[in-house]
Amino acid sequence: MGILDKKLSLRDRNKMLIGVWEDEDQLMAGASEIAHAGVHIHDIYTPYPVHGLDRIIGARRSKLARIAFFCAVTGLTLMTTMIWYMYVHDWPMNIGNKPVRFTPSWAPVMFEGTVLCTAFGMSFFFFWRNRLVHGIKNEILDIRQTDDRMVMAIETTDGMDEKAVLNMMKNHGAVELREFHNGVQTVL
Amino acid sequence: MGHGHHIEVKQEQFVFSPKAKRFSMILMVLGLIFAGLGIANLGGHEESHAAKTEVAAHEGAHHGEGHAAAAAHEEHTNVETEAFGPRMEFHPLDKPANTRIWANLMIAGYFFLMISLVALMWYAIQYIANAGWSVGIKRIPEAIMTFIPVPFVVLLIALFMGKNDIYHWAHYEHLGLKPSDAGYDPILVGKSGFLNSTMLFVFPSVLVVIWYVLMRKLRSLSAAEDNATKGDVTFFRKSIRFSAAFAVIFGFTISVIAWLLIMSVDAHWYSTIFGFYNFVTHWVTMITIMAFFVAYIKKEGYLGFVTNEHMHDLGKFMFAFTVFWAYLWLSQYLLIWYAQIPEEMAYYQIRFENYKFNFLLNFAMCFCIPFLGLLMRSAKRNRYVLAIIGSIMILGHYHDVWLMVFPGVFGSGMQFGFLELGTFLLFAGVFTYWVFTALTKRGLVAVNHPYLDESAHHDVGV
Repeated sequence: MGILDKKLSLRDRNKMLIGVWEDEDQLMAGASEIAHAGVHIHDIYTPYPVHGLDRIIGARRSKLARIAFFCAVTGLTLMTTMIWYMYVHDWPMNIGNKPVRFTPSWAPVMFEGTVLCTAFGMSFFFFWRNRLVHGIKNEILDIRQTDDRMVMAIETTDGMDEKAVLNMMKNHGAVELREFHNGVQTVL
Repeated sequence: MGHGHHIEVKQEQFVFSPKAKRFSMILMVLGLIFAGLGIANLGGHEESHAAKTEVAAHEGAHHGEGHAAAAAHEEHTNVETEAFGPRMEFHPLDKPANTRIWANLMIAGYFFLMISLVALMWYAIQYIANAGWSVGIKRIPEAIMTFIPVPFVVLLIALFMGKNDIYHWAHYEHLGLKPSDAGYDPILVGKSGFLNSTMLFVFPSVLVVIWYVLMRKLRSLSAAEDNATKGDVTFFRKSIRFSAAFAVIFGFTISVIAWLLIMSVDAHWYSTIFGFYNFVTHWVTMITIMAFFVAYIKKEGYLGFVTNEHMHDLGKFMFAFTVFWAYLWLSQYLLIWYAQIPEEMAYYQIRFENYKFNFLLNFAMCFCIPFLGLLMRSAKRNRYVLAIIGSIMILGHYHDVWLMVFPGVFGSGMQFGFLELGTFLLFAGVFTYWVFTALTKRGLVAVNHPYLDESAHHDVGV
């Protein structure tokens, strides 16, 4: 799955072309033209969700839902085993003379355990995948990408016409154009 | 939100097509046929039932003035010898054959009244929550909520005709026993301030009038908005205020209605979660019905800007409230199971002993099948999956209401048969006809709603 794939780090990639936008409509138009020209857009960093952008850059469906399902199944299994071991196998308790093997009465534990595992699992995988966990270094291309700027990153390939790509960015209202290579940014 | 690509939204006029008319007619005719079959079977059932009756005192004690007290007396002396002391439930199990008809009408009336009310609640919540995505499908709950008076009239007729047989507290009230009499029931007497015939008619009527007035007000605001100029938010603001008023009134009163009309079938029993549980049962059904209408209207070529994204959100609502229904269903049961108080168990005792199949079928139809069926994203975005799972859900929740009433009224020996199915289909036909007619009365798009554009651009992402 490549969750800890080193390739995810921008530092270890080829030279990146970076365009900074102030306006989301121009960004959408630019992204759309660049994508139609057959250039693969690595990612676009925006301070808030821009609807439709994921489709334009051809983002694949998030794996988070599947992870949630597996976490849920894990949690359910774990809790069922736990309550069976504790309450039936190891130390049966007489509470109000109720039978211990009555599964509906286990439901709250099973339900809460499932929810807990799913919530923690999803948060953990989400942060891990987005390189927001302690110990994983992440490059922030522009500190204002969390404020009022939108940043597009395109990884250069061997046959790529970099000039044309940069021109497309500029024509669609990119306010800054930069290069990022080996951890160093150069303003173009 | 994505202003990059502009989506043109124009007013559309819905036409009640002959095909849709035929569909609702077929529902009604099927309903009448099934109900007729059910009624035809009813007579035979009565004879065999009477033949089986063991206690002589019960014979002919169909709540005639003189016989009833004797029957109550007989029943009381019978049960006191039981090992558990005096039985808490007073169930005159011998009912006239037509009780089943009144009980069915009462269930159908209650079910569709709640569906229309919950549609109004949905409409109000969209305003209070400032929801944008649902503006495109706003006309559908707006049409469903106009149905309020029809099921209510049926409900009143059913209650008027059958209350003494449906509610054993009404029958008890009718007996007028004194503390010294045999069969005197202090619990029913204690509850008689709330559970009495005056209350049964006056309270729901007053509430329905209040709800109806608020419904008309919200609808007239919506109509006024259509005729106003684009960008005028006065009616939008006013709608929020009236929605909030309705939500507060409805939130408090809906529980009381559920207690009075449905929970009182087992008058000795009570559950504090019951009102909310009823609300959720109808809420999830209403969302399913709404999804059906949206899917149909889209298939006919209307509302082009309402996309699969909106259907996906409706599917998510169906899925989420399915889980919530199961949560309440189990919570109500588990608390009673743990507490181990005999009179609280009466409700589940009779349902699990005599209606085990229905009890488990209810859980399967309302939770297991929808939960597994709607879990996947692709299922929620697929019209055919939604149609199949949705039909199971609607029938399942109707059966849920049936299971709340019938075991309490008839004791054992009843089944969800032709009459029940027929009543449901008949009502479903009238309901569809009514809603389609209501849809034709307004333009299908709320063109001057401030969030219409947001709804048109609604996108849940890849």
